[in-house]
Amino acid sequence: MNNLVKKSLLLIVALALGTFAFGVATAQDGQTICFAFQDLETEFWVAGHRAITDTLRGQGIEVLEYNANEDPNRQLEQVRECITQGVDGIIIIPQDGDSANTIIAEAQASDVPIAVFNRPPNDTSAGVVVVADNVSATEQAVEFIAQKALRQFEITGEAVTPLILVGALQDTNAIGRRDGFFNVITRYNERYPGLFNEPIEVATEWDAATALSNLEAAITAKPEVDFIFTSSDFLFPTIRSVLEPRGMWVPAGQPGHVLLAGLDGDATACMLIDEGYVDATGVQNLFLEAELTMDRLLQAIADGETAPNEVLLDPGFALTAGNIYFQRDEMWGCLLYDEGFLDQ
Amino acid sequence: MNKESAVSTINEPLNVAQTFSGPQASPPQTSSSGIVRFVRGLLVSDYFVLYLTIVFFSVSSIFFTTLANPGNIANQVQNMWPLLAVAIGQTFVLIIGGIDLSVGATMGITSVVGAVVMAETLDPAFFDKSPLWGTLMRESGGILAGSPFAVPAAVIVMLLLGTFIGFLNGFAITRFRLAPFMVTLVTSTFFAAFALWLTQSRNISGIPDSFVMLGKGDIISIFLGEKLTPDIARRDILPFITYPFLITVGLAIMAQFILSRTVFGRRMFSIGTNRKASEISGVPNTSVTIRVYMFSGFCAAVASILYSARLAIGQPSLGGGNLLLDIIGAAVIGGTSLFGGKGSIRGTFFGVAFFVLLLNILNAMRLSPFVIDAVKGFIILIAALLDITRTRLANRQAGSGA
Repeated sequence: MNNLVKKSLLLIVALALGTFAFGVATAQDGQTICFAFQDLETEFWVAGHRAITDTLRGQGIEVLEYNANEDPNRQLEQVRECITQGVDGIIIIPQDGDSANTIIAEAQASDVPIAVFNRPPNDTSAGVVVVADNVSATEQAVEFIAQKALRQFEITGEAVTPLILVGALQDTNAIGRRDGFFNVITRYNERYPGLFNEPIEVATEWDAATALSNLEAAITAKPEVDFIFTSSDFLFPTIRSVLEPRGMWVPAGQPGHVLLAGLDGDATACMLIDEGYVDATGVQNLFLEAELTMDRLLQAIADGETAPNEVLLDPGFALTAGNIYFQRDEMWGCLLYDEGFLDQ
Repeated sequence: MNKESAVSTINEPLNVAQTFSGPQASPPQTSSSGIVRFVRGLLVSDYFVLYLTIVFFSVSSIFFTTLANPGNIANQVQNMWPLLAVAIGQTFVLIIGGIDLSVGATMGITSVVGAVVMAETLDPAFFDKSPLWGTLMRESGGILAGSPFAVPAAVIVMLLLGTFIGFLNGFAITRFRLAPFMVTLVTSTFFAAFALWLTQSRNISGIPDSFVMLGKGDIISIFLGEKLTPDIARRDILPFITYPFLITVGLAIMAQFILSRTVFGRRMFSIGTNRKASEISGVPNTSVTIRVYMFSGFCAAVASILYSARLAIGQPSLGGGNLLLDIIGAAVIGGTSLFGGKGSIRGTFFGVAFFVLLLNILNAMRLSPFVIDAVKGFIILIAALLDITRTRLANRQAGSGA
């Protein structure tokens, strides 16, 4: 046989085998949940994905996974595909709040209950929406720092100078975290006058380079800063690069320690709490959020409810140097850290 | 003989795809067995991808019964139209031996500009930092908010802008003799960033319903089965003839006509096959190339209309991610050569159908989404290798048949 034709046949066979070799599945009985996520590029989403898929599969529920690669149009197509496959319910992590509304409407118009995990749609009146209470989680973390600051204040009589790295303020998460920070500072100053100096606000726009230059400028101007709160844990390496050359990157218990707190609960924050550099972080209780999402969706399916509409809040919790030994298993970042996520 | 007809005559022998493709072009190799001749004919056939798609679908449907579900078929067909619209433009560019990496960014910027024209409301909390705020964007909406001409004007502006970006590409490529890859990459980077800057990375919602209809409006829907209840559930109503279908099929027919029935189409194949020879033959390479890139920009704008309408937002990041891979992949799978001189709209249609079906099958297999992306890349690689094999086979047949 002609060589070229042989090669061509080989290619076609490879094409067919390549497609089918990854496994042939047969239709299964029982419940099927479609899980359409926008991507898994951060530690938070990786852990969320695992929490949801593991739990659902653990309950014998079949999970159809779809990755939209940050393309909301692709996500809409995937959700439509889920609907035609006759899934019992849909969980989405949308790319943005606007497309989320369209996707929710699409699912509900087809009588399929849908839940949104952690990233709320602009209009939260439709669908099951599970979101973190940023104000509450921040308050819990800052409260822990305020207690430490109070003890320091009672011994030395010197006011504490707080600094907050603020996120992009068009983001509701950033607004909630800033509000939580100021709520605690104001409350403690009312109760213990003179405890905190006027907080310094440093804009980050959720950008590490912007945060670095603005923080350097702020610390140079006010080196007496002794408490820093970052609106997201991803900025701890940035904070370190500013404090370390100035001799201010010191673990707790040693002279010159700057009180540090953040929010998210990622693997880096867990490691730094372990090492004593960070005092507390507000944790989005990823596992609780996953549980709330799945429980409400499964309940809707069981009740035959095709368009459940409800907002469920995750109050979050603070992981601190004081409770890390008891609560580290509840923090998604610590689980990743313990699995060697930061060694990769 | 006038110049036009002279050029046509000169160009016709250069049209490798038209001359050599098709099962009827089987060479008289008497020593080959019947099976070999059949396989060879199949491989060089214009309908090769269609046959492959049908075989894939038929075999897969045995294992995954949901694939043959009418709802699934209707859904997958609807998914094809926007991708086909943009892939048609890319096919034109590939035929002349170019590449247009800016189609994604063109979709993003046209989506945003169209929304700025027609949006009915705009939230100052999101857009007050936009450079357009207070001039073209206000709390009361876009430039023509509330006007009955808002949607037609927005559509026209989107199409014109897409065509203009294509013109910029074609102009830079021909006048400055820059590589298409480099020019369209620069254009892509610029317009993607420009779209994000205009909106400060925000989607623009508040799009009029009449525009949204262009993306998901059904003209004829069908219901299969017995009507047992007074109301038919929405999920049981299947879209049949939709606006995206009409728009894209209209575009495809026009493109196929240009390619196969006009001098302009022949010139495109001529340029893609041998740019120097076509120039010597009197083909106006510069103007053809510019017009081809303009058409690609136009097609990207059409796709932008369909995608934006479907999600009911002006989206600056539209066309990002892996969409470019899908567009080029679908065209290549459809038999359009990355080296130019070969391709057809029919083939691209088959390529898009195969691509959409492939994703559908991979999803039905319950594969990990990460594996699916890897398989997609693998399939495109195989398609590219097959393209080389088919071209060699066609050339051999032509050589022995001549």
